[in-house]
Amino acid sequence: MVLDSDPVAFSNWIVPALLSFLTSAATLCAVALVGGYLISAFRYGPVGGGDVIYRMVLGGVRDLIALSPRRILALAWLAVQESLRRRVLVGFGIFLLILLFAGWFLDTQSNDPATLYLSFVLTATTYLVLLIALFLSAFSLPADIKNHTIYTIVTKPVRSGEIVLGRIVGFAVIGTVLLAVMGLFSYVFVIRVLNHTHEVDVASLRPVPNDPNGDRAGRTSLAQNHRHTLKIGPDGTGSTDMVQGHFHEVTAQESGDKTTYVVGPPQGLLTARVPAYGDLRFKDRAGKASDRGISVGKEWKYHSYVEGATLAKAIWTFSDITPERFPDGLPVEMTIRVFRSYKGDIEKGIRGSLVLKNPRTGRASDEKFFIAKDFYIDFLKIPRNLTDPTGKPLDLFDDLVSDGQVEVWMQCLDASQYLGVAKGDLYLRSRDASFTLNFIKSYLGIWVQMLLVTSLGVMFSTFLSGPVAMMATLASLVLGFKAQFVLGVAKGAIEGGGPVESFIRIVKQQNVTTQLEPGLTTTVVKWADSVFMSFMTAITGLLPNFNQFSNVSYVAHGFDIPPDAVLVQVFSAAGYVIAALAIGYLFLRTREVAR
Amino acid sequence: MNQRQRFIRKIAYACAIAALLLPLSWLSQPATQDGSKGGLLSRMRQEYSLSQADLGEIDPASETIKLATLGMRGVAANILWEKAHEYHKEEDWAGLSATLEQIARLQPNFVSVWVFQGWNLSYNISVEFDDYHDRYHWVIRGINFLKEGTQYNRDEPRLLTDIGWTIAHKIGRADEHVQYRRLFRDDDEFNGSLPRSQRDNWLVGREELLKAERIVARGTPLKGKSPLLFYSRPPMCLVNYAQTMEEEGTFGEVAKNAWKKAGDSWVEFSNRDLPTQYNVLIRLSEKEAYSKKADEAKAELDRLTPPGLSDKIAAEKRAALSDEEREAYDTPAERRTKEQTNLAAAVGEKLMVHAIDIADRITGDDHAAAFKAAEDGGQADAMARAIDIERDIVNYNFWMLKCQIEPDDDTLGARKAMFDGDRAFSLGRLEECFKAYDEGLKLWRKTIDKYPSLLKDTEVTEDLVISIGHYRSILHQMDRQFPTPFVLQDVLDADALQKGPQLPAGEAPATGTGKDSAGAPENDPAKAAP
Amino acid sequence: MAEVIVETRNLSKVYRDFWGRQKVRALKALDLEIRQGEIFGLLGPNGSGKTTTIKLLLGLLFPTSGQALVFGRDATDVSKNERLGYLPEESYLYRFLNAEETLDFYGRLFDMPTAVRKKRSAELIDLVGLNLAKRRQLKEYSKGMARRLGLAQALINDPELIMLDEPTSGLDPIGTREMKDLILKLKAQGKTVLMCSHLLADVQDVCDRIAILHQGELKELGRVDSLLKVRDETQIRAKGLSESAQAEIRSVIERHHGSVLTMDNPTTTLEELFLSIVRDSEARPGRRAKQDN
Repeated sequence: MVLDSDPVAFSNWIVPALLSFLTSAATLCAVALVGGYLISAFRYGPVGGGDVIYRMVLGGVRDLIALSPRRILALAWLAVQESLRRRVLVGFGIFLLILLFAGWFLDTQSNDPATLYLSFVLTATTYLVLLIALFLSAFSLPADIKNHTIYTIVTKPVRSGEIVLGRIVGFAVIGTVLLAVMGLFSYVFVIRVLNHTHEVDVASLRPVPNDPNGDRAGRTSLAQNHRHTLKIGPDGTGSTDMVQGHFHEVTAQESGDKTTYVVGPPQGLLTARVPAYGDLRFKDRAGKASDRGISVGKEWKYHSYVEGATLAKAIWTFSDITPERFPDGLPVEMTIRVFRSYKGDIEKGIRGSLVLKNPRTGRASDEKFFIAKDFYIDFLKIPRNLTDPTGKPLDLFDDLVSDGQVEVWMQCLDASQYLGVAKGDLYLRSRDASFTLNFIKSYLGIWVQMLLVTSLGVMFSTFLSGPVAMMATLASLVLGFKAQFVLGVAKGAIEGGGPVESFIRIVKQQNVTTQLEPGLTTTVVKWADSVFMSFMTAITGLLPNFNQFSNVSYVAHGFDIPPDAVLVQVFSAAGYVIAALAIGYLFLRTREVAR
Repeated sequence: MNQRQRFIRKIAYACAIAALLLPLSWLSQPATQDGSKGGLLSRMRQEYSLSQADLGEIDPASETIKLATLGMRGVAANILWEKAHEYHKEEDWAGLSATLEQIARLQPNFVSVWVFQGWNLSYNISVEFDDYHDRYHWVIRGINFLKEGTQYNRDEPRLLTDIGWTIAHKIGRADEHVQYRRLFRDDDEFNGSLPRSQRDNWLVGREELLKAERIVARGTPLKGKSPLLFYSRPPMCLVNYAQTMEEEGTFGEVAKNAWKKAGDSWVEFSNRDLPTQYNVLIRLSEKEAYSKKADEAKAELDRLTPPGLSDKIAAEKRAALSDEEREAYDTPAERRTKEQTNLAAAVGEKLMVHAIDIADRITGDDHAAAFKAAEDGGQADAMARAIDIERDIVNYNFWMLKCQIEPDDDTLGARKAMFDGDRAFSLGRLEECFKAYDEGLKLWRKTIDKYPSLLKDTEVTEDLVISIGHYRSILHQMDRQFPTPFVLQDVLDADALQKGPQLPAGEAPATGTGKDSAGAPENDPAKAAP
Repeated sequence: MAEVIVETRNLSKVYRDFWGRQKVRALKALDLEIRQGEIFGLLGPNGSGKTTTIKLLLGLLFPTSGQALVFGRDATDVSKNERLGYLPEESYLYRFLNAEETLDFYGRLFDMPTAVRKKRSAELIDLVGLNLAKRRQLKEYSKGMARRLGLAQALINDPELIMLDEPTSGLDPIGTREMKDLILKLKAQGKTVLMCSHLLADVQDVCDRIAILHQGELKELGRVDSLLKVRDETQIRAKGLSESAQAEIRSVIERHHGSVLTMDNPTTTLEELFLSIVRDSEARPGRRAKQDN
């Protein structure tokens, strides 16, 4: 799995996050107060304006005190009724249709079906639920205002905040129920689609040559676009190799003189690895410390390469290594990229080795050799009892770990060939968490996004008409998902310039890398773009980055979603919801609903 | 006031709508029974046979996706392309191939999408993997992707050509071709019930190319492809097949038949009517006939021409030149000014005595015959030259010759002996190697004597030079002298001549980035040869 | 004097367009006082500012200048709504709810406990006579039924002040009568009623005091009886008079230097008044018609 950024510990995150939330809240309040005062002073004069603001604030405090759960729930109930009436169930029907037809348009030849199907159902659910949330939330309040049904609400002792909150709660309830049902269906769908079995191709079974145990080897039948090779022992039990991320257990049952082979269900297909990541540093070819390895000139800078047969190394430092956590030794998993500077022997892979080192004493184990498996996860168990290069016995925890830390040094052994690594490419698979729980956690991520969209939609609908509020929410959603891109364009990291410039390029069919002709037009265009992009940057900064709330890649690649990440998501979403609530309250309260 | 404004606005809208409707109706006017071809759209639809049923399978999944985008298919496809690019960059191959699949389903009748992405899978993604098994897997993925495309686009020679090309050339010409060909033979999933003996990538690829040929024969236009290259591919596959057989050590009857079949295929190709850029149909085989015809016509004309007529005409032409022209023409080339150079070239043209000039001057009864001879000769000559140009493009002469030489028992024997020698050399069996080489060199001598033009074939000479190098080295190890005069000295000379002055000592610099170096399909398959 | 429940001081409303340009002066400097226990009618043709006034009093609109006070509090103060009931011009109710759900929902907006809500909505459904239709969705209701349910929701909190926007619009004659009776009944319970209408007969029948608005200006304000009393005119209505008796009466009037205007079916005099005000106002805009009371 691609580790985009270092995992955040909730305990380290919450305090600064709260502080920044409070400061932005305070800033926002101050801006609102000053701005509000200026506007009302303009309309009612300095004293009258002050009076308006004073009453506004006082009313706000009063409204906050007067918040009534019963009213909020009544409004939420109304929102639910309205959603049901607006055929929210159609959305669910679409979801079922998608699942039904998924098999048709998903890549049937994928070599990673688990990832494909999981990311498909999760992404489909996300988009669908967000779309439903968008439509429900953005159109509800404007429809009420347009139909004047709002008259009978606001002439009751209902606070504006309650109207906003009630709507958010109501749509969130609908969203939650939808998500729960969709989650259940998705779960069953994924399990059912991925479950398969093979038959043993009996004709292919042959004794393994020179095998002292008397194992037999053969292959299975083709199912779901793959087949396994299998090995079966004289006791009639055996297993297949790993293909598409799973294996099967095979048992032979003898009944009379007939032997039937039973292939078990796929194993290891749906996992939730709990990785322990280490900190990565490098040594260059001369053995000097460096932050990154060599770049082999790829556009994607994720991997950094170590040159073979030199002093270049990649070094991971793992912490909290205790015998309690890893009683049987260190379970190392790695995905190592390969880059060949010449073809070499095509039939042979590129070799590398791992050495465990004590960061304090420098004692090292002897080398563990491996052949780099490009794009596949390789498993290497490092036992407790090791030997040092001279053959003397070493104990993992006594000799190689100090202060709970151990280093793993990796190097490439083939000259002029390169191994590419990133921090997340070598980790200790400390344990496996429950896949089901992980699946639920990923749905929690979708739930959080749904809540955010709902809040944004309701917030926009307090001062915009339905379609406009919908577009505004959609724009926020797109900006939230494409924040990286917007920032990239603003910083000039993405070639082609801002909207005006790229439009000109499209019209003129001009390549993104060619310079625009210098001149007045170009200057004006660049200036307009930079103004617009700084505006966009500001907006993007205010909006939630939706990718941050997505846990799809964790689940799809079989990694446990760190509980801390979930907490961070929930809390940051809460911040946005509160902000949306406050803004929505302010707008609705200062709005003449009868206009 | 207000109302009037509104009224005016409404009128303006109505006018705008009407104005937009006019071109629309012109564009989309349907075809009618009574011979009207309808509007532009209708005509184009017909021309490109764009009705769904014309194109191939109508897939409910694809239709569902199209519907689900609410008419914003283009937007969706754009987003998916962007996503595919992102996946490619971040090396998420599962995501990439899933996205490609979706794009294709979204616009299943966009042939370029299938072609481009099939290519992408087979050529660009496969090489990202280090293990050749993975690489092979992605090559096949690309082929299967193209095959899927043919289900949606039934009569599409482009897709079939690409399938054939990828099977033949990607598997047969990649750096990993030895492994790829082995895996291809073992690939039960791809080849299905095809017997193992026929699971050769060149033969299987050729079948697909022939399918494309059949579709074209049924009247589907060959868009953007040169017919010459298009039809040259199946015979080239057979040539490559025969060559690969020998490379892998299969000689004897099998190789002989393979070569014969390749030769037959070339003959068949050479008898095919091919359109050229001169708007005439030619057959590659007919050059000799045309040349002969031209010669006969010339002889006929010569027979009819009174002696001295040609010189007389030349003198007249010269006399007709202006002073300036004459001066330019008479000035030695190196002393001419720029204008004079141009002028001199034009004068040269003018002074040529054409057959038709001569025929013009023949009077009496012979006039008609001479005129005919001159005309026929000119035409035949033009045809011969046109055929020659086309022949050069596909290296016709070379391959025809090769197909003739290779099935020769001496050539086969020579090749087998050299192959055995090379193998023995790699195994370090000196005596065996020596014997094989010795025999091989002798047989090569015979072959080259029979077909001296082989000396111009760098492929042959280079291979031979390597083997001769081995031969020299074992002689050295066996403490024997390299014989002088050497039996194949002319081969060594030819090789030295082709390579020119040798590079300074030392290996050529290591190049390449581990990427595949198999050629692109648009390259002419025959260009690899001399 | 009874307590002032509703008061407007110099209340003005200008509608502006998106760019802040003035479009309509909907209400110009309205001063009103409505006291507890009276039925006050706002009268005027369409677009005269009646509904704007009500919306300003409800806080649905904000005044451009001046003040609107309800129960002595600013009209924008939500807490005034606790003691207020409002029947909008058309019954803007949620069409996907039924009568019971509707009343229960509005009851909850008053933070009423379940038991109270149940009791109250049962009473009100009874009162407006929707017992047989209480489980039907509102989209199946006729206009009259919706109107009655609208009234029920306005009364859910047993309000002290009830604002009725065109209470009889869309009702048949019987419904109109019932509505009027109900309004009088509410008055009898000591409630204050503010209603606006363009149906003169309704206003005339039930209102204690009326204000006549035209083009956003207050044209007439006063007790219905005194407003309608035309001092220099006498209307005679009698029954069973013979031709000769009529001639005799005419001669008596002539003797007293009066002149006979009409002696047939009398017109509704409020309508007369109203029309004369409108005519007058259109001829000389900006002037209060008569300074009276």
